[in-house]
Amino acid sequence: MPIEHMSDLLVQTIDALARRTPAIVAAAAHQLGVVVITLHFGDQSHATLRAQHSRLLAVAQPAADATVECYFDERAMNLLFDLQRRPVDQVWERSLDVRGERDQVLAVWRTFQLLAQRAAGLRAVQDLWRTYRAANPERWGKLPSVAQPATTTIPALQQTRHTGWSALDYLDQRTPVQQESSALPTIGATVQIQDRLIWDGQNSDPWWNLADVIDADLMETLLACKRRVRQEIEHMIPDREPRARLYDLIRDYPAREGKGLRPTLTIATCCALGGRAEDSIRSAAAIELFHNGFLVHDDISDESTHRRGLQTLHEAHGIGLAVNTGDAMNLLAIDAVLANLPTLGLARTLGLIHDVVHMCRETLEGQAIELGWIRDQIVPELDEDYFEMSTKKTGWYTCISPCRMGAICAGETDPLRLDRFNEVFRLIGIAFQIQDDVLNLIGEEALYGKEPLGDLLEGKRTIMLIHLFRTVDGAAREHLYEIIKRPRSAKTQANAEEVLAAMKQYGSIEYAIQLADRLAHAGVARFEIDLADIPENEAKAVLRQIANYVTTRPL
Amino acid sequence: MPGTSSDLIRLGPLDPFPSALPTHPLERRWLHYAFLSRDGSLGMVANLSWLGPDPTAPTEATRRMHILLLHQRGLGWRASQFNAQADEQPWSAFRLPNAFAAPQPFTLRAASDSPFVRYQMLRTSRPCTSQAAPFAGNQHLRWQSEPGVIARGDWGFDDQLIEQVESVGYHERVRGLWGWPEMGGWVFGFANDPTAHGDDPPPTALVFTLIQPPHPADATTGSVMLWRHGRMRRHFPRRCVEVAVRGLLDRDKITQVPELARLFGVAPMAPIPQRLVISARSGDDWVLLDFECETAARIVIPNETGIAPYSVHEVIGPCKIEGRCGSDSFAFSFYGIVEFAGGARAD
Repeated sequence: MPIEHMSDLLVQTIDALARRTPAIVAAAAHQLGVVVITLHFGDQSHATLRAQHSRLLAVAQPAADATVECYFDERAMNLLFDLQRRPVDQVWERSLDVRGERDQVLAVWRTFQLLAQRAAGLRAVQDLWRTYRAANPERWGKLPSVAQPATTTIPALQQTRHTGWSALDYLDQRTPVQQESSALPTIGATVQIQDRLIWDGQNSDPWWNLADVIDADLMETLLACKRRVRQEIEHMIPDREPRARLYDLIRDYPAREGKGLRPTLTIATCCALGGRAEDSIRSAAAIELFHNGFLVHDDISDESTHRRGLQTLHEAHGIGLAVNTGDAMNLLAIDAVLANLPTLGLARTLGLIHDVVHMCRETLEGQAIELGWIRDQIVPELDEDYFEMSTKKTGWYTCISPCRMGAICAGETDPLRLDRFNEVFRLIGIAFQIQDDVLNLIGEEALYGKEPLGDLLEGKRTIMLIHLFRTVDGAAREHLYEIIKRPRSAKTQANAEEVLAAMKQYGSIEYAIQLADRLAHAGVARFEIDLADIPENEAKAVLRQIANYVTTRPL
Repeated sequence: MPGTSSDLIRLGPLDPFPSALPTHPLERRWLHYAFLSRDGSLGMVANLSWLGPDPTAPTEATRRMHILLLHQRGLGWRASQFNAQADEQPWSAFRLPNAFAAPQPFTLRAASDSPFVRYQMLRTSRPCTSQAAPFAGNQHLRWQSEPGVIARGDWGFDDQLIEQVESVGYHERVRGLWGWPEMGGWVFGFANDPTAHGDDPPPTALVFTLIQPPHPADATTGSVMLWRHGRMRRHFPRRCVEVAVRGLLDRDKITQVPELARLFGVAPMAPIPQRLVISARSGDDWVLLDFECETAARIVIPNETGIAPYSVHEVIGPCKIEGRCGSDSFAFSFYGIVEFAGGARAD
């Protein structure tokens, strides 16, 4: 999409950040608080920026309720994001003017500072700004002299000095000799790290010192990890008969578009603890296979018709083949875990097997609890009952086990240290599941992938349903109970619409959103405490982004 | 009779280190060897170290830890454990008498016999003067380097025997007394112009050092030393040197050694830079090194003093060197070896 005005650039930048770096957006939204900023740009365009919970909302028009006004000249936006030009070369006196109450101006300043420090290096943001600058060169005034590529005729240290430091000047004028291989999963390299001097003749900056906060581009990372793990699964599926009745079916679910959270959690945890991404690929593939095997069986027991926008496996191929395919996926998953033996050694592989067994047991117990509720026509009374079921059914294999297994791949086998991931990702997992359930009710099908109101048709005991039955009483309760206890085949779309209307009437959806938000924030807070002793690196930043993803996810 | 060669060599210890045994647990003596084959496809790094007695052990014996790492382009790193077997008196350019143009044997092998090297070592150059870095009160590190060493012989790499490889490298002796958190970290490295013929010294060789102790504030020591045709021609002191880094090396390009370290949960280490640029200028003389980290072996050093395991990265990669020394300009591109150590936390 072309970017004509600076307001569009701001909106697109915030949009990119919301998708790619939830942790930065959440932190910026926290700084901004209740302040509403209207920004007036040098090209006569205007934009408004405000925070809602942990989300940043940017629109390309001025707001009537703005509490702070910011005026920029044509080039002063460099202050916010653009790492391509040094701000000192760009900002003139009165380039930037901020007006409002003192504390609110300071809040805006902190927000801008945070965005400038943490978002400016993201490659996606850099690309956005580069495109804008290339399309509108006149708005940038005269560019500072661009360094010419070095030629052999000019000795390295006799070139024009820009920074005053010859080693930095030299680096400024050179591009990397070696391009990174795109086949590897990208944990890291999503942020442009500025060249730095570690010794200037007088002052020392240890080479191992990095910026306190390293942020990662979550979207790029999810995509890279998902692709790499899918490739690994593809290698593991035997190339022999019966293809059409088994092996091609195994490919079906993993090939469907998912977010790639599990592979990314596994790979990122491994890297955060000093391991190599490649060491965790097979374990990530194993979790994906278990997950997809569970989904196939889950869809049969829930009588679901759609999964990730397409027909469920049993709908397309019949229950018999679907059950068999699910079994085969679980078998392949075990094979994938065992395949770690030559590369990771016995101790880690045994650790992985131990965790896989635990994960499967938790998942089966969770599934049993939920199916039992439906079979016995029970709606649990307490949110805690849901928390327990949700953690067992999806929390372990979606969040907790991927992290633990990634840590094991990196060599961490101490149970106490592995347990550090449990509470953080239990909270995140529950919040994520509640949001997923909310999206099933109010999200677009394309966004969520399952059939609309599928959970209501299945009679799934979501937090909204639990809240609804806790709140509603009398005849209305009886009537709703009569609907939800029907088997799926006896429920109509109109029944589901009726339950949804009741949920909206009694505030169950809003309650669920608020509850998910609270749990997500508690999870993010625990993340910083429980995982404090993992050194800051870009892989840990990926984990942080995933933790924050739950707080900034559009609902 | 004074003035004869036999009297001169008695002026100092005959061995690379004083004959008195180390007594402090943090006392260290190292012989360091790093070589690259003339085509750059093979790399060897070895460290022979003798440490002071373990304070918790019943005897006061010197601890010996030898490790050998071999790298073959495309096949990665192989390493011994810390119990590699060396000769009784391992070859050193600093062991006297040590004549030029007289090859001497050097053998180092893993206890399992793989990997191993079996060399004839030949000096072509003179060493630099001894350097010292004092820091953290009474701690210090002293070292002396000699580039341009030629190693001819066989490399054992997995089941392969690669025979009659000619490589050029660097030898160093280090001794001192330091704890890892107090020492902070270092960037050490060298590059030899590989185009010399026969037993000639490299036309140009470069050795650089940057030691970055956290305390005291002015303790950082750095230097760039330039050899031309076997003799050290310039020593650029720290005030004339600048060191810059760019990017981070992909973790998948780092192999953790020795193999035993894989059994333990080893604390992660700071990611090493992708690129290292060192410039030095003194009057009209200058030199610039542009090193691209290509592959690294992370040597996990066992816990010695209660700190978490500490590691040193041995990095191989292409490098370009250019500069001027007196009336000569020089430039060459080859592979170099750089060592990044640092980031130990006293927890």
